Amino acid sequence: MRNKKKDIVLSSLIWSCAAITVAVLVGVIGYILVNGLPNMTWNFLTTTYSAAKSGSKGILPMIINTLYVIVISLLLGTPVGIGSAIYLTQYAKQGRLVSAIRFATEVLSGIPSILFGLFGYAVFVVLFQLKLSLISGSLTMMICILPTIVRTTEEALLAVPSSYKEGAMALGTGKLRVTMGIILPCAMPGVLTGVILAMGRIVGETAALLFTVGVSGNAMPKGDNIFNALFGHVFEQGNTLALHLYNSAMNGKDPVSVPFATASALLIMVFALNRLAGFLSRRFKK
Amino acid sequence: MEINSHNVLRGENKVRHNRLRLASCLFGILTLASIVLPFSSFLFDEYTVHLTGLQLITSNIRFSPELLIQIPIGMRICLVLSLVLTVSGLVLMLLRKYMFSSFALFGASLSAILEIIFVASVTQEASKAGISTVSGGMLYGWILFFVMALISAILALSISGLEKSAETVFKISASISIGIVIIITLYMFIYGSPAIFEIGLGKFIFGTEWQPTASDPKFGILYMILASVFGCLGAIALGVPIGLMTAVFLAEIAPGWLKSIVRPAVELLAGIPSVIYGFWGMKLLVPFIRNVFTKLGYDTTGSGLLAVILILAIMILPTIISVAESALKSVPPAYTEASLALGNTKISTIFAVQIPAARSGILAGVILGVGRAIGETMAVIMVAGNIVQLPGLFSSVRPMTAGIAFEMGYAAAGLHRQALFAIGLVLFVFIMLVNITFTFISKRGVQMDAK
Repeated sequence: MRNKKKDIVLSSLIWSCAAITVAVLVGVIGYILVNGLPNMTWNFLTTTYSAAKSGSKGILPMIINTLYVIVISLLLGTPVGIGSAIYLTQYAKQGRLVSAIRFATEVLSGIPSILFGLFGYAVFVVLFQLKLSLISGSLTMMICILPTIVRTTEEALLAVPSSYKEGAMALGTGKLRVTMGIILPCAMPGVLTGVILAMGRIVGETAALLFTVGVSGNAMPKGDNIFNALFGHVFEQGNTLALHLYNSAMNGKDPVSVPFATASALLIMVFALNRLAGFLSRRFKK
Repeated sequence: MEINSHNVLRGENKVRHNRLRLASCLFGILTLASIVLPFSSFLFDEYTVHLTGLQLITSNIRFSPELLIQIPIGMRICLVLSLVLTVSGLVLMLLRKYMFSSFALFGASLSAILEIIFVASVTQEASKAGISTVSGGMLYGWILFFVMALISAILALSISGLEKSAETVFKISASISIGIVIIITLYMFIYGSPAIFEIGLGKFIFGTEWQPTASDPKFGILYMILASVFGCLGAIALGVPIGLMTAVFLAEIAPGWLKSIVRPAVELLAGIPSVIYGFWGMKLLVPFIRNVFTKLGYDTTGSGLLAVILILAIMILPTIISVAESALKSVPPAYTEASLALGNTKISTIFAVQIPAARSGILAGVILGVGRAIGETMAVIMVAGNIVQLPGLFSSVRPMTAGIAFEMGYAAAGLHRQALFAIGLVLFVFIMLVNITFTFISKRGVQMDAK
């Protein structure tokens, strides 16, 4: 009898904890979306921003800057991450180097983003004289996303049945050919999952970008021709969506609808990326 | 017959090697030669300057006898470095160290790319001198240098065979993360330690006064450390039980349909960016705490340690849930079955058998949560209130991370900025300790499970 009472107490504890978890999620997302979605108009998404003018509070420059950071850091980080996963799964023999690489990846994934921000500031902004610019931020983000890409790619590569590899090897195919022609294509959905997860991380990242891309860059890419506009912008300051949310929430100059709408846009972007990653990895498992 | 064909093959290989070597050397020499071609151009209004690679190293831009614009030292270093690397690449090629030779040549082309960085600082200096600048850019000489060095590097790499060079390339990209960790560690110490030496380790860590901008500046971060540690401990005390119970729910109790609601919810929780948590805390949690506790008779603005603890507890939930769930699932079913066969109920089996058996995994999750909580910045900075004082549950605090992020924006170069890097160093040491403990425990956990 006593046991039964204890059981009821404990199981209601378990149920209520699970309920708390779900309630917190609903509370956070619901609050942001309810307050933000009505303000997230088409006009808001497609006009430029000016801190001084009360009429122009759009977030188009921030969306573009976020895309810049995503593209550059993925261009730099993905090859390195995939190459390193290929080495770990296909070439490496257990030894000191491998355990050092694993330890390093673990350490990198544990370092908080504010320290990446300090590091990026010291190395890219000050030492390389890249100043506060999108390229400094992207280089910093490349380091942040490296562990994610390495880990997911590694898992995806390991999940490819070894019979594929053995079959190809038995036909006399070289190791590189087997890796690039058979194993990597088979693992592609898994690799893409990692890339998309990394995109989610970049979109939401704030602390690492705070002192590397600068918070005052609200300009659109511009130049005398499209080439200059496109590439010149890389070396300019650029506010990303997440940074803009922090800024407009903290400076108190913008009307409160601006951070709410920015937060909603950010949430929707992150969730879309997460769903995409989940979808891909489920397809991969089949 | 067989031996003969082998010899022929070897001979062919040798001829191929020699050809490739020759071509690679040729491109290397072309690389060196292209230094006399125009490398970069600066368009000032009414004034255009083209400089060859050699001129970039040796001369500056002279507008008039008194107005001289310096070529940045970094540009010179990059250029000289790429020259030195090209030469050493050629020498290594003659010594038949093809792999190293190609690395040197790759390095040469990379450091040529780095020169772009410094173009902007020339135009900036010009505008400081009162000359309106139109643009600065790199010319075909530089592009030629870069492309030639790259081709020569690829040729050198192909001599040693595709398979072997591919392996080396993979190995290098894998080693990059080791390099990054080493560089980060070095930089944290290089940038962080001067302030600690100047202030004194004891004064810095145990000092209670933080007045970086006063005329007699004081740099003591004890209250920041305490705020970080208390915030983290509070979050663990609150988040771990809830997370663990949710993990139990997911692993053992929940019916299938409920699982398919709760699990995506946990995933979503993990995906929400920290700045959104911070914003939510700032807009909803802080006013809530203010209203409730003002009614209860406390004098509070709402932001402070309690808000930090609540936000951090929410943020570490997903980590703890996912790690604890996989730890619970890896408990051998024989344990559970044995306990059930002895007549224990399902609930008491969970608490008396499964959770103790999964304790090393759960502990690993807790440690991961500690790392997350102590390093969290954006969410904390938005709800902490940011006043450096003895942490109290309802009064404003400033944890270490918030201190760095908050002051980096306006800290003048000098001791203040160095002190911020020193806080970063303290944080880094904390995190490394947490990481090492985590690695140790998860390894020991595996060994324990093996036994």
